[in-house]
Amino acid sequence: MSTPLARSFVTVVFSTLVLLVVCLLFAPSSVSWGALSGSLPFAATIAIVGLGQLLVVQQGGFDLSLPGAVSLAVVVSTHHPHQDDGLLYQAVLLAIAFALVAGFLNGILVSFFRLNAIIATIGTNALLYGAVFATSGGVPSITTNLLAEIAGGETLGLPNSVYFVLGATAIVSFLLKKTVVGRRFEAIGANPLAGRAAGLRVRLHQMMAYVYAQLLYCLAGILIAGITREPTAFQGDSLLLPSVAVVVLGGTSLLGGRGYPISTVIAAFFLNQLSQFALSVGVPFSAQTIIQALALGFGIGVYSLRWSVNVRQTAGTKNVEEKK
Amino acid sequence: MKYSNFAKGLAISLGAAVMALGSANLAKAEVPSWCGPKKATLALLDGYGGNSWRQVTTASGKQTVELCPSITKYEYADGQGDTQKSISDIKSMAAKGVDSLVVFGDAGPAVLPAITSVFKSGKIIVPYRVAVGGKEGVNYSKFIGSSFENDGATWGKWIKSVLPKGGNVLFLSGPAGNSQGLDELKGLKSVLGPEYVFVNAQPFDVTNWDPALTQKVLTAEIAKNAKIDVIVSDFGPSLVGALPTFTKQGKSIPALATSDGNSLGCFWHDNQASNPDFKLFTVATGNDNVRLAVQWAVALATGGEKPKDAIFKAPAFEDSVSGKPNAVLCRKDLPGAIYMSSELPAEDQAKAVGQ
Repeated sequence: MSTPLARSFVTVVFSTLVLLVVCLLFAPSSVSWGALSGSLPFAATIAIVGLGQLLVVQQGGFDLSLPGAVSLAVVVSTHHPHQDDGLLYQAVLLAIAFALVAGFLNGILVSFFRLNAIIATIGTNALLYGAVFATSGGVPSITTNLLAEIAGGETLGLPNSVYFVLGATAIVSFLLKKTVVGRRFEAIGANPLAGRAAGLRVRLHQMMAYVYAQLLYCLAGILIAGITREPTAFQGDSLLLPSVAVVVLGGTSLLGGRGYPISTVIAAFFLNQLSQFALSVGVPFSAQTIIQALALGFGIGVYSLRWSVNVRQTAGTKNVEEKK
Repeated sequence: MKYSNFAKGLAISLGAAVMALGSANLAKAEVPSWCGPKKATLALLDGYGGNSWRQVTTASGKQTVELCPSITKYEYADGQGDTQKSISDIKSMAAKGVDSLVVFGDAGPAVLPAITSVFKSGKIIVPYRVAVGGKEGVNYSKFIGSSFENDGATWGKWIKSVLPKGGNVLFLSGPAGNSQGLDELKGLKSVLGPEYVFVNAQPFDVTNWDPALTQKVLTAEIAKNAKIDVIVSDFGPSLVGALPTFTKQGKSIPALATSDGNSLGCFWHDNQASNPDFKLFTVATGNDNVRLAVQWAVALATGGEKPKDAIFKAPAFEDSVSGKPNAVLCRKDLPGAIYMSSELPAEDQAKAVGQ
């Protein structure tokens, strides 16, 4: 059991270290403290949505309602309080309520009505965007000072959002790996039929994946609202692709099963550092895009390398057999 | 993503319908000269409608349309920064039978084929602000540009006045390759000599005018460049969230040449005392560009008198050093996301941005 965990973890840590070395050599400013403390909050939001997507992917699903969910949390936590700190807690509760509704909707559609996850969550995304427009009219609002302080401030020299990620990772990892519910959740993800045969409540667990995911998206949305002074109403759009990318980079199979929360979070740091690196090299935008694509290819390629070694070994055995 | 676009479209059109009902009660003043007798319908097509600047611009456009009773129907569509959607918006508006279209072609030449096909089908189509290529009378009815080169030159002159010996300039603009940024750069370079060093990636740092991306970009630039003397940005308010990064790294916010915005003005008032180098200069942000474009489209569609100007020139607006033409303005009682330079009264803007 421990070998695959080590592999995914080692791979993502190795890729990240290589990236950091490359940063040190070619764009030292991208690993300076100022740059890191400015960009870590954005890595944090990618990490949190990545954790949400991870839980859904573990159940063999896909959550495309992420953009709507994050954007809704952003606009609810900025428009509802309308720069009044006293109303912030209401806004947060409201955002959580929306997240629960969207999560149960996704979950029920996918697990009980057996709708294709991609189709069901696209539909939910449209509904969520409807709510985004109803709340905001598509316009950004300036964030409240209190939220800016909580999400965008620093404690003991580290951006607060980093503590939120550490907290979220700890909770997800603990629940997933050390509790009965979490073990059942993973077992069902790996093989729902076996789970059912073992008498587990497969559909309930599958549904709850979407609910947990929405709660994490909601957290990410609220953080973005605090980190960015005047977030747009579409702030979630740019997070969908990274959320899937970090799950894959973190080593979780898109077919479901075991999940790697810590690797996912490190992958989020990798992805964010990658874009900071591209920004810092000071090359034109087109070259920045190419650098990002290449490095992402490298990150994923590190996995494929392992596989190809295995394939070669297998092929080798076959050759031996043929010779016989 | 079609479902989501459909839902967004539905939400927008419902909103627009409600606003239209509300404004129908407004008493009609005398008819302006550009409004002819022929009945017509008009659509305003935005390439990206998701910020307050666009919201105020859209409200300004709508207010201009309402001055002309010959326009029987007004529609709006938002491309949401998606070139594909912008193209299909243009085509579907024409297919719906709208007579005249005013297009903010954010995607530049990519939307030209759609614009050309609409023009060839005999509609009035007026792209504005962002150059889409093509020619008047061949690809579209009229292009109403904004002289961004003029903006760049205005900033350049001010930079020369506050940094006469030269210095490091950081220039931020919107999406990669947008013509606005390129023209501004031309204007800047026409005034600033080689003693002014541009420290950004050439031709400008890409921010997509997105506050989150602006924040990331500025963070990287501050870390990379020990000395930034002046920042030039064509969307000032998106910098407000990012400027405190200087303070966090123990530096003073540098001089800033940009476009105006209420949140920026208030930010300057709050921070100028603790940041000795923070001088602010703005040009009018140009929400009123749309008015000229709408006037042209209406004049052509209804047989009215054509407006005299065909290019919108944004005037200088605020200067914290000389106080001319205005000192830096701040209305704390109104939302940050409005623009004091706009012709639309501040209170109406506040309504337009939904606060």
